Amino acid sequence: MRKLMLLITAMLLAVIPATAAMAQSSEGQVIVVHGVPDLDVDVYVNGELTLEGFQYGDVAGPLPLPAGSYEVEIYAAGADPDADDPALSGSADLEAGAAVTIAAHLQEGGEPTLGVFVENNATIEAGNARVTARHLADFGPVDILANDSAVFSGVTNGQGGDADVPADTYNIKITAAGDPATSAFEADLDLAEGTNSIAYAIGSVEGGSFQVVTAALTGLAGAPTGVPTGTAGLAADSAWLGVVLMGLAVIAFSGGAMALAKANR
Amino acid sequence: MKRPSPHAPLLLGLLGLALGIGLAIASVAEFTKTENPTLGDVERVEQSLSTPSPSSIVRSPSTTNSEPVEAPPRPLWQVNEGPSLEAPEDPRRTPTVLNIEAIGVAAEIRPHGVDRATGQMDVPDNVVEVGWYEYGPAPGEPGSAVLAAHVDLMGQGRGVFFDLHRLEPGDLIVVQFDDGSEATFSVQAKATYLKADLPTEAIFSRSGPPVLTLVTCGGGFDSSISRYDSNVIVYAWPQADRQRDPGEVRST
Repeated sequence: MRKLMLLITAMLLAVIPATAAMAQSSEGQVIVVHGVPDLDVDVYVNGELTLEGFQYGDVAGPLPLPAGSYEVEIYAAGADPDADDPALSGSADLEAGAAVTIAAHLQEGGEPTLGVFVENNATIEAGNARVTARHLADFGPVDILANDSAVFSGVTNGQGGDADVPADTYNIKITAAGDPATSAFEADLDLAEGTNSIAYAIGSVEGGSFQVVTAALTGLAGAPTGVPTGTAGLAADSAWLGVVLMGLAVIAFSGGAMALAKANR
Repeated sequence: MKRPSPHAPLLLGLLGLALGIGLAIASVAEFTKTENPTLGDVERVEQSLSTPSPSSIVRSPSTTNSEPVEAPPRPLWQVNEGPSLEAPEDPRRTPTVLNIEAIGVAAEIRPHGVDRATGQMDVPDNVVEVGWYEYGPAPGEPGSAVLAAHVDLMGQGRGVFFDLHRLEPGDLIVVQFDDGSEATFSVQAKATYLKADLPTEAIFSRSGPPVLTLVTCGGGFDSSISRYDSNVIVYAWPQADRQRDPGEVRST
């Protein structure tokens, strides 16, 4: 009876983490970015008003949402979704455990569009930070520099990339590709350990609305691989004691065997 | 002089064999001791630390009702404050001094990160200081706050955690912070793990109930590489809520 109880308890304990993990993995995370200047909007997700009076430069999220397919419609603020046409619309697939950016932004040339980007939310090695850069601005190809060395080169509108670097504060510059003199943006960014810091370049350089907005995917940190806390062997127990005992065992055993052999002669 | 019994060599031989076998068993047991290390509530503590990530604990209310039929209207999403590009002020209090009366420890604590060359936790270069894993929680915050110190160092002798393995459940650990405050923890469990089997995910967990985790080296020592084969781990809980169920997740 007691054994049965233990067995049931053990089975229950085994089930609990599994369900927790499943509940966790049926969701994804969504970041919404407004990168179209001079346009206040309402954002509808699957026909439901989700963000009201969303303004240029606003960022919402990351927000946890059940995995699935989402229809995203963006209306001028205060518009009637039953009567008016959306300014932008599109769909986004959110996979379980994934992180996605949905961005209303300008293409090169100034035409607005709705972009969907999957963000890298894989575990980051302990001590490192991840930086993601996305070019969503009305501007030609750019280089992105961290502490004056190029991290991403020749990034065009709609493109982006991510890199893992030691967690620290970095001087980040965005310049026209191949032309370090034309700095469009410069700031010191804190790249926190275990976090994917995402920078979105939005707006129009020519129109003077160019800016960089950020979002952060946290909780991605991995664990250190070990803790090296001794080199002298002063506290060692098993090794020397084991060797000594084994040595004594050999001596006693052979001594005993010899004595036996002598007795039987 | 009395002549020895003719049975004496036989008895001596049997005794020798028995002693040999006994010592052999003892030495094997000594070698394998570190593989069966649990004492106290180790499994309970580690299980409490290896469940959901913060993103699934701190969830917005809008996601808890996926069937909106009876549910109140879903609140609108909030626009993020900021966006801030500069480093935020770290609001945490930082641990500065560790006191463990039971084993005579009174040591300074300094923040340490990761050794890039090895991927292991960076530890003090001396035997007198204690390293706090600065990327994890501070003592008393949700998750496992790690304080690591040497058991010994070549050329420097015994370390501040030389007697860590002597701690017993109920022993008190006091941590002082940079803001003058202090927190008391009570030892719950200790364990010795072969380094290859170290449960790093639980030991460095950043979610779950607050656990203070003290780490040093121990077990067998390989003098050819100056390395212990095991880590000695002591888990302690905040003294005030010692009775708390470790399975309970504190959401912030």
